[in-house]
Amino acid sequence: MKQPYIYGIRHLSPAGAWHLRRFLDEKKPKLVLVEGPSDLNDQMENLTRRETKPPIAILAYTKETPIRTLLYPFAEYSPEYQAFLWCKEHKVSCRFMDLPSEVFLSFPEDVEGGNDEGEEGRRNVYAFLSQKAGEDGQETFWERTMEQASDTDSYHEGANVFGRELRNLTEGQDRDWPETLVREAYMRRQIADAIAEGFAPEEIVAVTGAYHVEGLSDGTLQPMTDEELAHLPKVEANHTLMPYSYYRLSARSGYGAGNKAPAYYELLWEGFRQGEMMHAPYSYLSKIAGYQRAQGNPVSSAEVIEAVRLAGALAALRGGTIPALRDLRDAAVTCLGRGSFSDISLAVADTEIGTTIGALPEGVSRTSIQEDFYRQLKRLKLEKYRTLTAQDLTLDLRENRRVSSQEAAFLDLHRSFFLHQLRVLQISFVKQQQVKQDNATWSEQWVVCWTPEAEMQLVESALKGDTVEQAASFQMKEQVERAADIGQIALVIEDAFTCGMASTVKYAVSALQAMAVDAVSIEGLGQTVHRLSTVISYGNIRQLDAAPLEPILKQMFYRACLLLPGACVCDDAASKEIVTAVEQLNAASLAHDFLDGQAWISALKETARRDDLNTKLSGFAMAILLERGLADSAELKLEVQRRLSKGIPADLGAGWFEGLAMKNRYALIARLSLWEDLDSYLEELDEEEFKRALVFLRRAFADFTSGEKDEIAENLGEIWGLNGQQVSEAVNQTLSGEEQKMVESLEDFDFDL
Amino acid sequence: MEQEVLRLPAEQLYQKEIDALIAAEKDAVPEGWRMSPRSVKTYICGGKVGGVEITPKYIGHERLVEIAIATLVTDRALLLIGEPGTAKSWLSEHLTAAINGDSTRVIQGTAGTTEEQIRYSWNYAMLIANGPSQEAMLKSPIFYAMEKGSIARVEEISRCASEVQDALISILSEKRISVPELGMEVPAKKGFSIIATANTRDKGVNEMSAALKRRFNIVVLPSPADLKAEMEIVRTRVEQLSGGLDLHAQLPGQEVVEKVCTIFRELRSGETLDRSQKVKTPAGVLSTAEAISLLCNSMALAGSFGNGSITEEDLAAGLQGAVVKDEGKDGLVWKEYLENVMKKRGSSWSGLYKACKELNE
Repeated sequence: MKQPYIYGIRHLSPAGAWHLRRFLDEKKPKLVLVEGPSDLNDQMENLTRRETKPPIAILAYTKETPIRTLLYPFAEYSPEYQAFLWCKEHKVSCRFMDLPSEVFLSFPEDVEGGNDEGEEGRRNVYAFLSQKAGEDGQETFWERTMEQASDTDSYHEGANVFGRELRNLTEGQDRDWPETLVREAYMRRQIADAIAEGFAPEEIVAVTGAYHVEGLSDGTLQPMTDEELAHLPKVEANHTLMPYSYYRLSARSGYGAGNKAPAYYELLWEGFRQGEMMHAPYSYLSKIAGYQRAQGNPVSSAEVIEAVRLAGALAALRGGTIPALRDLRDAAVTCLGRGSFSDISLAVADTEIGTTIGALPEGVSRTSIQEDFYRQLKRLKLEKYRTLTAQDLTLDLRENRRVSSQEAAFLDLHRSFFLHQLRVLQISFVKQQQVKQDNATWSEQWVVCWTPEAEMQLVESALKGDTVEQAASFQMKEQVERAADIGQIALVIEDAFTCGMASTVKYAVSALQAMAVDAVSIEGLGQTVHRLSTVISYGNIRQLDAAPLEPILKQMFYRACLLLPGACVCDDAASKEIVTAVEQLNAASLAHDFLDGQAWISALKETARRDDLNTKLSGFAMAILLERGLADSAELKLEVQRRLSKGIPADLGAGWFEGLAMKNRYALIARLSLWEDLDSYLEELDEEEFKRALVFLRRAFADFTSGEKDEIAENLGEIWGLNGQQVSEAVNQTLSGEEQKMVESLEDFDFDL
Repeated sequence: MEQEVLRLPAEQLYQKEIDALIAAEKDAVPEGWRMSPRSVKTYICGGKVGGVEITPKYIGHERLVEIAIATLVTDRALLLIGEPGTAKSWLSEHLTAAINGDSTRVIQGTAGTTEEQIRYSWNYAMLIANGPSQEAMLKSPIFYAMEKGSIARVEEISRCASEVQDALISILSEKRISVPELGMEVPAKKGFSIIATANTRDKGVNEMSAALKRRFNIVVLPSPADLKAEMEIVRTRVEQLSGGLDLHAQLPGQEVVEKVCTIFRELRSGETLDRSQKVKTPAGVLSTAEAISLLCNSMALAGSFGNGSITEEDLAAGLQGAVVKDEGKDGLVWKEYLENVMKKRGSSWSGLYKACKELNE
């Protein structure tokens, strides 16, 4: 009986693709079987549509978390891809014949890395081969021996020998050997089924990795039985097509899943199609030269010619006539890079890898979230940003009054919503830049860059919802449920607001309400109030009604007022955060009339007045009262005298002063009476107390600018009856040795006294 | 006569190997060459031909050797660049020895090299007596190489003044020398080329012009890639050298070579081999060539004043001299290395550590 033709190839091999087409032309099969998950047959049609531009990949993924994925990338020069095209052109049926992706995805994961690539497991075989191949591994070996094969028979025969030898070397020792056996039994079954269907064996061509040729053509091996088939493990899986990129092909190099130099391999493919084996070498070196010139590094044609000659000589040393990639790169380094690779490394990356990305026709069996993503890109006129090169995007959220339609007027706002939703989903397509100008809330800076990773993240988000907005909403709801404190919920509210998702805001607010009842930390409250307050203040630029936020803000603000005096019993380390919170709360009370201002003021007054609190915070409360005009000079004078009187420990007094000096310094400096009080306080102290006070006051003045310090010095000078000139001289004099010593002696000050 | 020469040229030293390679030649031999490019590579990188063991002359980075040979096949000039002691001259000598059987067409580039030494000069007595004539002409090595179709070498090209370098430009592009005094032009025969070497530490002394660089294919020779390669180089070279020098001492053992190479690599790269610790680097280069001479030196010490095998003291003296080139700065670097790295290396290093420490007290 005749046997079906088994054609062994290497994935992503231009020569394989070329010779496979010759082979198909010659044998004129009625059915072509291709190694690839057999449940993906429905993608075949889309793979070969005219609008489809490789590189593309089939991505299969589990329906349940944790998501596992299986990726089958195809470039234009993939033999499999050319087989699909050939079948379409000749109206011949074409099928995948490997195990279904559901079975693949249920195999236990590799220990190292994920088993997310169909042929990843072959790695160890190929590592072994690389070792044996010498020079620089199996890639170059393969290129020199196989890619340059000029006739179809020798390629076919060579690939078979290659696969057979490889198999003999590793049979049974390979970690994936059991998996290999199962796969081959399944593939044999597929072939047998096809014959049973009525195809004559000689009308069938099976395209498979050279490694499997032996396993498929050995007549003594039996196809998988029904019973065995039923025993295969399975997980539920979906699959989709996705655009791929040369960059990713090169990054995931290794057998099957990619190759290191996709753009170069494309040149090889072009060479085959033009029947010109030197096409790739010439193009490669000219492209590097072109890139160098574009970057402003002069490269002469004479140098390119020298590089071609050198590459030829290098190939000849290995007994070849056509330079391999390695020869070309070395020649480029020597002749175009003047001996150093770093000079041309960018040009090499551009020429070997390139920035090509694939494309799929609209509506091609993507997941619904991908559909939505691309629909949104189109609606928001963002399609031109779908490139591998990162681009800046500046948004102006205000209404554009020069356009007629509502949609166009708020285009940037809607873009912002969309980009924020992607940000929440952690899809690496977008990245927000910090804007320097603090309050320019109508302006946003983004960096947009498409990568296959972004596409995969998108596909993985498919579990969260059918559209980008739904997925973002799901994500935020999850965050709310997981939130451990009110600050995290406030963050979600802010996110939901920037995403323009009112219903999520509502959901998060009610969650916040539930949690805020138990909130006791003034820092957390301050932060939350601040976030909500910002959202309310600037919310109208996003065309969202902030009203639902007001009650919760009110409630939390009032709560903070009640908590404030109690929270001020703390040490200096903790006081820093409370200062921030007080400042945030104060800003909120000024920004919104609906907040209970009176409660806030009485909380501040209490904090300022009480003696049993952290004095720095009391001082700070006083400073706010002064700033808001709620305390006058007389009150300040009284307070200064009370706080800075003999008998009060110096650190407390100075701490209070530090707090007071944290705000409205100019006003303080201008009040002469304040400095008189400080002066008379210091006069009263004895030597030891003075030293102590000095240490703390020094700290209080540490973050004053030198200009401010000068003015204080002048104030004091005035009190002591000196004129400005003299003070300035005294202050700016360098310290004498003795003075220096005195200052230094303070460093050893014992705080525990 | 052989006994009196300190160092024989490569083609005489390795006569046997070259003859064996020529006898066993199977591939096409380029015009003007004595063996095929592949045989040249075997000569440089080692192998076995017709029962004769070919010793490797340049170890590691075989691909660079291939690029160098391929360059000469395409009749381009070759420029070898690298740190001092990375075997640039060594490689250039052996390339010419294998390709032409003659490595002696050398111009030593110095600040005092003149244009005449690149082109030709005159026997002035004859010039004055008889006027310009072929006989009165003193041909430079390059001139000879052009006439014979062989390869000339220019050592330390970046040490030459720029007008001397410029003289090379026209020779390399026209491939001919004109002698206006005699009204003649000498075209280069097929096979003519130039191998130049330059030192990266000399950068800026006489920076090569872009025009001259463009006429060379440039190959950068790096320091040995790893400890194993460097040990291999040191071991082979010390073996070869000590044979010629009558040192009356045993060859250094494997662990001695390893210690020296380890110290050199660590001080050169500024970190310990396991990358766990940073160390300061001394001002000197600490090239592989220096490691080789250090070991030969230690063998000389052991042979002349000791019992014939290298002791820790001999080694310590050699290391001291190699590392500490500038007493003040390098001395500190070396002491720090001794204390922070070597002392903690355990018992196998303790002898060397003590010996080194003694010298520094």
